[in-house]
Amino acid sequence: MMRLFKGLMIPGCVLGLWQWLVMIQYVKSESLSYPSAIAAAAIGVIQDGTLLVAAAQTFSGAFSGWLVGATLGIVVGIAFGLSQTLSRLMKITVETVRPIPSVALIPLALLIYGYGVLLETSVVAFSCFWPLLIVTESAVRGIEPRLIEVSRMLNFNLFDRVIKIILPAALPRIFVGMRLAAAVALVVSVTVEITANPMGLGYALIVAQESMRADRMFAFIGWIGLIGWSLNTALLNIQYRWFGKMGFWEEQV
Amino acid sequence: MNATTHNPLLFVESLSFKVNDLEILRDINLSIDDKEFVCIVGASGCGKTTLLRMMAGLLSPTRGHVSYCGQQVVRPHREIAVVFQDYAKALLPWRTVAGNVSLALEGCSVPAAERPQRIHELLCKVGLEDRAEAFPVQLSGGMQQRLQIARCLAQSPQLLLMDEPFGALDAMTRQTLQDEVTRLCRDSGVTVVFITHDLEEAIYLGDRVISMEKMPGKIGETLVIDLPRPRDQLTTRENTKFLAYRHQLFKLLPSGH
Repeated sequence: MMRLFKGLMIPGCVLGLWQWLVMIQYVKSESLSYPSAIAAAAIGVIQDGTLLVAAAQTFSGAFSGWLVGATLGIVVGIAFGLSQTLSRLMKITVETVRPIPSVALIPLALLIYGYGVLLETSVVAFSCFWPLLIVTESAVRGIEPRLIEVSRMLNFNLFDRVIKIILPAALPRIFVGMRLAAAVALVVSVTVEITANPMGLGYALIVAQESMRADRMFAFIGWIGLIGWSLNTALLNIQYRWFGKMGFWEEQV
Repeated sequence: MNATTHNPLLFVESLSFKVNDLEILRDINLSIDDKEFVCIVGASGCGKTTLLRMMAGLLSPTRGHVSYCGQQVVRPHREIAVVFQDYAKALLPWRTVAGNVSLALEGCSVPAAERPQRIHELLCKVGLEDRAEAFPVQLSGGMQQRLQIARCLAQSPQLLLMDEPFGALDAMTRQTLQDEVTRLCRDSGVTVVFITHDLEEAIYLGDRVISMEKMPGKIGETLVIDLPRPRDQLTTRENTKFLAYRHQLFKLLPSGH
């Protein structure tokens, strides 16, 4: 409780000062709203249902893209981690495709999928694929060689080896990659909505901007921040719950 | 089988191993009989572990070959199990004690319905039945090594290769485990190749002790240990024969082993 109070003290003062400066009419601006109006707008977007719809759209785009991109990244990452040859063969391809900013793919994805969830999913998937590929490949490379020997002594086939030894052994590190990719997914999906896709929180921001509603813009920005924060907190909790118990397994992270 | 056509369980024939130009093992010849307990002693770095890995089929020799039941060992065999020295690394930290034993049963395609019963039996054998739901990290070193032994036994091996299994344990735990392993191996009729750098441990456990020389690793002398079984930590170790073997073996190995 005390920590929460301390943490909120400075931002609270800033908001108070902001509100006060507007009230004494020291600041007058079309683009700068003020805290009480923003708070009212933040509640307003809940009441008229805009927030829920927009958040659901953004979330579905971000989540599906994250799921697709991360899964593909893990699968390819395991293959690269297991086969040095494959990894070396693909190295130049990976190094040239990876630096392409995901946002640069929006026009192409728009051409292929048109407006809608698929547009967002594909661009988000592209951006989530790379971190998972890299993290998974290095996690698989870093697996305790003794565990690989144990699986060899038990004559496991490739599938069993991956499912029973490699994937669980690499999972703590893969999960960290998934957590980082989730933050990227939110950023990219909102970007896609601002630049192209007429849906979700990003589009709601544009609508607020075009109708000169600075208070609603700030409200949506606030909500996006809150969603990002709760997503990360939730994933951190899952990480501790799943991997915290098993002692030194966690140390590999 | 008659006396003239003697079939060893494991046969190592003129085996050599080189890494680039470095000679690790030179012309190793060994034959291990069914139900025998053979200890291999040697200074660290003499290639004991390398030799064991080749017996397990985890590593291919540069020259010569290893054969098990008359068949050449080119990859790990289901009837051969290895107990590694670093038990903490060999156990799956995300699986419970029972789950770790289950891994070997899964590897041997034991039906899921039979596994709980088998796991319980195996854990009883090594005295871990109360810790079935614990994770390896919650166990002491001795318990972790017991768990690894239980997992190896789950494979129902004919040949158990043990690579300094008690090297990292304290003296008390080591003595307890020496007796347990002897009992377990007698009961299940498994043949053991036991690698150690502890001379007394080798004499105490073995039917036969083979010494290895260093740089490059080769077979030195073989001692047949004629001590009565079951052996006892106190009386066996005080036996004059035991001390004579110790004396003999001590002289065979270079000083500072």
